[in-house]
Amino acid sequence: MKITAFLLSICFCTSMFAQNFDFGKVSKEELEEKFNPLDSSANATYLYKFRKTYFEYRQEKGFVLVTEIHERVKIYNQQGFEYTTNKVNLYKSGGDEEEVSSLKASTYILNEGKIEETKLKNDGIFKTELSKYFDETKFTMPNVKEGCVVEYKYKIYSPFFWNVDDFIFQEDIPIKKLDATFSAPEYYKFKANTKGFLSVTPKMSKKNDRITFNNKTRHVSGNTEFSTSNVDYYANVYEFSLSDIPALKDEPYVNNINNYRSAINYELSYTDFPQTPMKYYSTTWEDVVKSIYDNPNFGSELNKSGYYEKEIDEIIGTISDPVQRTSLIFDFVKNKVKWNGYYGYYTNEGVKKAYKDQVGNVAEINLMLTSMLRYAGLKAFPVLVSTRQNGVPLFPTREGYNYVVSYVKLPDGIILLDATNKYCTPNTLPFRALNWQGRVIAEHGGSELIDLYPKEPSKNTISMLAAISENGTLNGSYRGIKYNHDALSYREKYNDAKKEDFLEKLENKYGGMEISDFDIKNDFDISKPIVESYKFLKESQADVIGNKLYFSPLFFLKTSENPFKLEKREFPVDFGYPSSTKYLINIDLPEGYKVESAPTPVVLALPDNLGSFKYNLLASDTKIQLVIDVEINQSIISPIYYDALKAYFSSLVEKEAEQIVLTKV
Amino acid sequence: MQVKHIVLYFILFASIQIYSQENLYTSFSIPINLKENANAVIRSSELNITMNAIDDMTVYEKRIITILNKEGNGSLDAFVHYDNNVKIKTLEVLVFNQLGAVIKKIKKNDFKDVSAVDGGTLYSDSRVKYLEYTPISYPYTVEFICEINTKNTAFIQSFTPVNDYFLSVEKSSYTINFPSDITIRTKEKNLEGLDVFKEELPTKIIYSVKNMEAIKPEQYSPALIDVLPTVIFASNRFVYEGVSATADNWMSFGKWVYQDLLNDTSDLPESTINMIQNLVKEEENEIEKAKKIYQYVQDKTRYISVQVGIGGWKPFKASEVDKLSYGDCKALTNYTMTLLKAVGIESYFTLLFAGNSQRSMDENFASMQANHAILSIPNNGQTIWLECTSQKAPFGFIGDFTDDRDVLVVTPDGGVIKHTKKYTTEENLQIIKGSYSVSNNGDIDVRTNVNSKGIQYDNKYLYESDTERDLDVYYKKRWKYINGININKMHLNNDKLAIEFIEDISFFAPNYSKIVGNRMLLTVNALNRNTDVPDRYRDRKLPLKIKRGFKDIDEVEIKLPPDFTLESQPDNVLIENKFGSYKAEIVVKDESTLLYKRELVINDGEYPKEDYETYREFYKEVNKYDNSKIALIKNQQ
Repeated sequence: MKITAFLLSICFCTSMFAQNFDFGKVSKEELEEKFNPLDSSANATYLYKFRKTYFEYRQEKGFVLVTEIHERVKIYNQQGFEYTTNKVNLYKSGGDEEEVSSLKASTYILNEGKIEETKLKNDGIFKTELSKYFDETKFTMPNVKEGCVVEYKYKIYSPFFWNVDDFIFQEDIPIKKLDATFSAPEYYKFKANTKGFLSVTPKMSKKNDRITFNNKTRHVSGNTEFSTSNVDYYANVYEFSLSDIPALKDEPYVNNINNYRSAINYELSYTDFPQTPMKYYSTTWEDVVKSIYDNPNFGSELNKSGYYEKEIDEIIGTISDPVQRTSLIFDFVKNKVKWNGYYGYYTNEGVKKAYKDQVGNVAEINLMLTSMLRYAGLKAFPVLVSTRQNGVPLFPTREGYNYVVSYVKLPDGIILLDATNKYCTPNTLPFRALNWQGRVIAEHGGSELIDLYPKEPSKNTISMLAAISENGTLNGSYRGIKYNHDALSYREKYNDAKKEDFLEKLENKYGGMEISDFDIKNDFDISKPIVESYKFLKESQADVIGNKLYFSPLFFLKTSENPFKLEKREFPVDFGYPSSTKYLINIDLPEGYKVESAPTPVVLALPDNLGSFKYNLLASDTKIQLVIDVEINQSIISPIYYDALKAYFSSLVEKEAEQIVLTKV
Repeated sequence: MQVKHIVLYFILFASIQIYSQENLYTSFSIPINLKENANAVIRSSELNITMNAIDDMTVYEKRIITILNKEGNGSLDAFVHYDNNVKIKTLEVLVFNQLGAVIKKIKKNDFKDVSAVDGGTLYSDSRVKYLEYTPISYPYTVEFICEINTKNTAFIQSFTPVNDYFLSVEKSSYTINFPSDITIRTKEKNLEGLDVFKEELPTKIIYSVKNMEAIKPEQYSPALIDVLPTVIFASNRFVYEGVSATADNWMSFGKWVYQDLLNDTSDLPESTINMIQNLVKEEENEIEKAKKIYQYVQDKTRYISVQVGIGGWKPFKASEVDKLSYGDCKALTNYTMTLLKAVGIESYFTLLFAGNSQRSMDENFASMQANHAILSIPNNGQTIWLECTSQKAPFGFIGDFTDDRDVLVVTPDGGVIKHTKKYTTEENLQIIKGSYSVSNNGDIDVRTNVNSKGIQYDNKYLYESDTERDLDVYYKKRWKYINGININKMHLNNDKLAIEFIEDISFFAPNYSKIVGNRMLLTVNALNRNTDVPDRYRDRKLPLKIKRGFKDIDEVEIKLPPDFTLESQPDNVLIENKFGSYKAEIVVKDESTLLYKRELVINDGEYPKEDYETYREFYKEVNKYDNSKIALIKNQQ
């Protein structure tokens, strides 16, 4: 028993030692491997992923940021070929630019038992100027085949020392071994922020280093004196060593998969050089807020008011009710300034120009709005938001946020406003901004968190009055009333579309159902719900078998498939907002038929009051009355409820498909 | 007196001019018929092309377009591509509000300037300047003026007044000036029924058109390119990336491609030639040799798109692909061709338009066309077509990416137009053989074998390489009308030799058959239910086109639940019409076993628009019968 353990451990050691991660030391075993034993579905695997980021002193430039990358990737099959083309994005701004150098790369294959190496040459490297701010270097590996290993290393020099790219510890394919180091001179104080599901802790140490200055002094006498001087300092070093990291697999209804990807972000808090005042970047949320607020593209833009005062005075006039004032100003901004599609919490051209040109980015529009609300005497504040696309801001960083909305505190509650979308109503933010919590910026730099997910469910009430005929044709009228987000998305689809097209699409959504008397109320009056109504005619809505009629009382409105198809799930299901849908259906039966059997009432509930489905059916001699209430009470549902959620939807689909049987009398 | 007259006349004329111009900047003056189905209206477009010499061409464009709504922004087309051979001389934009007043001026330097690399391309030296404009209200009007000079005269912009759906044209004109020693050929397409003006002079050709209504996309219609009115132009002598050429028909055009673009690209190291000769030495037959070489290329190379200068049309050298093991369509086609040559097999570089729309090269009009290259091997009067960018396609299988269209085959003697393989209705076959048993509470246990050929093979064979997790979801979606599927077995077999894709699947689904009272309702067709009906159009405008036909044959045995007896079953169905046929039949084998037989045939073909509604009705019927149910009744105990 002991011997076995001993042998095992020896085997382990040997196999550990067999791995050599020096560049070029690709082993036969690595090339022979047919699939990843820990995840046979992987198309490729990082055998080794190395990154080292550190500061290097340069006489003319001072400290520059250097990142060394070395990666070895095993390609198991053709689907893995995408990992043989790599891309390095290089930022540039105001004459400074990032540079890539010392690129070295090779492909290894096994040819009749021998390792064959093909080096990457210049013809496989491509440089492109993407835009004013980005260059891109791409390289694609030569001689790639199924089973090959590709390996590459390069360095990136960056003058943007305050911007250290995230250390990413989890990729879409597995990683067998990962080494990463971050080291920064004592003068740079960085703060580490971890995210994701893996627990990652660095080993910390201090390392001494020295800068040597070569000085040249020209004396009045004409002599030039050369001298050297040294500065000793230490660097803080953080080392990570991980092995067998599983691949991150995307799932439907996940808000943003990157929220769950393991990574560390180093954000510069402040710099503290000898004989130089400390320069703050950010450390706490208060610092983040302060540094954003102090930026001329935020605070002072917010405080400008001269450009709109006259118009706002006219608009609010003698109205004193704060809710009315808020809504008047909100409508004014939405109509006046159009969103140019750009995100950000800093203004670009400035609020004044945006006001004049009637076009602005998110910050210009919503800071302007906040400013106007304040001018009108309301307690209004900007709220920093991270969009769904940007992920969840877990740590105090400026990059954590990328959007700003406005918030008004009233005696009887609060109102969230976003004027970038003309169909947004108070407290209905666009879907992109519904992402956990926002940070309210108080007038003097303080901040507090606020939940961005709506409390109130988006309501949808559907009523249908219909008659089913002996041959299965359904004839009736439909009326749907939509509130909040349901109304918002309806207006986005309907208001800008051609009416005939919209109608045609609606008809075809229900398999070419014939629709007449189509009418929409309140399409532009966003203070009221959308009311959609029409008459319809649809054939083959019941099965006629013998002297019986069979049909589902929801007809074309039934939920036809379970949206959750994955067997298991790791991450939360994100609906964006709570919802509540009510169906009221009245069906007239054809003459001479009576109800033989009908579905029984049922109540389905998700655990912990997350949601419910109530089905209630009343059948009389000539009529059927059906009332259904479907509620999802939470915006986000934890994966521990996934099985329950999947089963709930499955039962819901089944119940909605249940049939009524009519018999000819 | 005389002078005064002229002046007056002049002023009058000028003011009319001004009036009519201004008129175009407001949206109020758009004729009502041009607003129908339109998201944008080209008020006036002037395209003036001047060929000064065969390596010097100026293109001036002035376009006034009114954008009616958000969807119309995509038709603004305010961009210009450029590279080392193209110089932008003028580029400016004026934006007008609904009333026709200028609200913004945008100069050349305010345009965004980015690399024109798309997602699928690794590198391209082409760049694009484009306008980024946020409308503050609709409708608005943009005047776009652009003038470029290029040294390439191989591509002459065509006269295509409308290039997209939902776009109408008030007035569009085209002028090309050229030196007398150059011959310009033209070809008109789909101009019938339009208000076209045309003038042909020895050194000048003018076209103009008025009042073109917007086209709306419709299902089962010809590709947009096949219905758009257009006039294409080509010069008999032209320069492409510094290479000059003379070509007035496909024969001579092909010769130019062969001699100037392909001649020096077929080099291979001796070692590779020996290796490849060695590889096929066992094979007697040319086809078997070619198969081995095709497999070799598929195993060795991968597709990477690199577009540099002449690389836009000239392939990289074969030796380059040999060394790097990657290339774009031209490079990989050329490489395969060179390898085949090394073992004495003749094959030809072939240019074509790739894509599902089956766009053909213009048979009688030689010009720089095409966006893809494949290889053709003559085989006793037949042709074998090889898609060299795919690592997975079976030998000779081209699928819907390049099937059934006219292509240019480049032979040493010149170019020849040929037609690629058409996959016929009978060839696009799917055979389902399956069985399922129904339990007393309505659960089903299913076993099925699906065999797909032709285009139906094409639609499925790439699933072979999906992960189990993705396939599980894929099959649940394929049978989306069955709730709660639990898949127990998935076995996929891609038979590349026979070009058949075979799926062996078994699954379980609870409560498939619905119990109502003491009856059970069973939708017999569980495995191949048609769920889509072609869209309904109140006013169909375009002809009906079914690009590819197919045939489905299903045979499914059903074991009834032990406690139930068949009460009623639908009648057998047979529908036959010009679009195809549908047969459904239930055979009672014994008291607990049924056999369900179904056959659906849809033929390819083109029909007038009036037939669309009948076609739709046919599908509705199919849909209805595919949902037919049998009623089972509980046995009396």
